[in-house]
Amino acid sequence: MDLQLALIFLQQGIASGLVSGSIYALLALAIVIIFKTSEVPNFAQGEVFMAAGYVALYLFVFQKLPIWIVLPATLVAAFLAMALFRRIVLDQVAKSAKDLVYLVIATLGLSYVLKGLVRRTGFGDTPRSFPALVPTDSVMIGQASVTILDLTILGAALAVMAAFFWMFNYTKMGRAMRAVGMNPKAAQLVGVDLKRCHMTIWGMSGVISAIAALLIAPKILMTADMGSIVMLAFAAAIVGGFSSLPGAIVGGFIIGIVENMVGLFISSRAIVLAPFLAILIVLVIRPQGLFGGKLTIKKV
Amino acid sequence: MHDLLEIEGISASYGRIQALSEVSLRVPEGAIVALLGSNGAGKSTTLNTVSRLVPITRGSIRFAGEPIQAWPSHKVVSSGILQVPEGREVFREMSVRENLDMGAYRRSDAAGIKRDLERVFDYFPKLRERLRQKAGTLSGGEQQMLLIGRALMAGPRLLLLDEPSLGLSPVLVQQIFAIIQRLNKDGLTILLVEQNAAIALGSSSYAYILENGEMALEGPSETLRRDDSVRRTYLGG
Ligand SMILES: Nc1ncnc2c1ncn2[C@@H]1O[C@H](COP(=O)(O)OP(=O)(O)OP(=O)(O)O)[C@@H](O)[C@H]1O
Ligand SMILES: [Mg+2]
Repeated sequence: MDLQLALIFLQQGIASGLVSGSIYALLALAIVIIFKTSEVPNFAQGEVFMAAGYVALYLFVFQKLPIWIVLPATLVAAFLAMALFRRIVLDQVAKSAKDLVYLVIATLGLSYVLKGLVRRTGFGDTPRSFPALVPTDSVMIGQASVTILDLTILGAALAVMAAFFWMFNYTKMGRAMRAVGMNPKAAQLVGVDLKRCHMTIWGMSGVISAIAALLIAPKILMTADMGSIVMLAFAAAIVGGFSSLPGAIVGGFIIGIVENMVGLFISSRAIVLAPFLAILIVLVIRPQGLFGGKLTIKKV
Repeated sequence: MHDLLEIEGISASYGRIQALSEVSLRVPEGAIVALLGSNGAGKSTTLNTVSRLVPITRGSIRFAGEPIQAWPSHKVVSSGILQVPEGREVFREMSVRENLDMGAYRRSDAAGIKRDLERVFDYFPKLRERLRQKAGTLSGGEQQMLLIGRALMAGPRLLLLDEPSLGLSPVLVQQIFAIIQRLNKDGLTILLVEQNAAIALGSSSYAYILENGEMALEGPSETLRRDDSVRRTYLGG
């Protein structure tokens, strides 16, 4: 491979990697905000993403509702589904079983339920595509070719991330959520309503997943299995340290870029290995992940 | 004086472990009441039933005459009962300032919050110098001050103090207890949990002694200090 081609590949890999990476980053963010507060990896995050995509598809393509109704309706549905799951199912499970592993199993249950529901409706039987709302014309950035849609995805994802950072750092609600993540007992002792806080966080996590689905839907063929993309989001979260929000986002972009680089420079068949490669490299260099705190033995 | 807090015949358990059985206790408005007992006697559990972190299986808890045993914990905080927990339960990754802001979580009266922040600095000038420091990096004594400051930011009527002397040097213990006295003079009612019976009996007007989840003894602190069995068991002779 000559240098000229390598440079073009490099630019293309970064550009495409940032676009797919922004979706992994959003989903990783959705996973990490739940993990930090509930200490549960939500294995249904991918199916929430998938189901939200189908809700939008159903309302937009089948019910022919205008997009300004479809978008908020999808986000509200995702918020409510996740918030109610937390409040009704998880609180109930937590009441009867002290071990966190049962909560994890409950999220696996949710993933099967959502997949089953979408399969039952029949929409998931054939791959479908969601119409793009912005032009898919290509533009050149340097020597990389991207579409207006790609730029919209990246821009919207960055805006969503910025909004959440602002919320967590500069609002009372966000500070309370961080407090719950650090010390739930102390949070209760200053008057934080733990149940409501958890509901809101799960709801927000659903909203972030739904946004990811709405952004990427025009670029992919939707199937009931599209939630498996969440493996890459988990990889992103691990690369970032699993309990850091900036880590989740940087991890998402790293996974996206590595994936595209592997596809361009090695082989498209090697793409599936890319996230594991990234995890391996990061964990060897920094076992706590890029943004994880110092590795410490928890004192009792 | 009327009782601000009335605990009557409460029992509580953790699974099969009975932690409290039929415990009764009263805290008159304006008083400092001490709750003593050895490790595992049920002192923290008692405070946690009042804060509504631990449910009671029988009995009743009244605050200013109102039954609160069915309230959610955040409503207890709103009504003015603030616990200062044992064991340095600060928000470690947050700055001192953010920790104090969290103390005022249920309030929205900006002017009152600002006044109480000044009051906290008045009691604990050290905290003002450390506003930007992460709470987890404060010394043990500073964390204890921050915990009390955080509770004060809620504008409490009743303070539930859980072993404020734990792990502090004798000098710091003196300092903290001087401030507890000052808080009380300034109008705060205090339920003080301690293992350090000498200092607790010295700074309270009435005291209760828990043993294995049951109330073993109660009386004016002055009387208990001279009681032979109390001296043997809790005051080291
Ligand atoms: N979360 C819990 N789960 C199970 N048992 C508990 C829990 N918390 C306390 N206990 C038990 O309840 C009993 C009373 O504990 P508590 O913490 O109230 O004692 P304490 O008087 O505060 O002791 P210390 O002076 O050591 O703080 C103890 O036997 C303790 O082991
Ligand atoms: Mg205790």
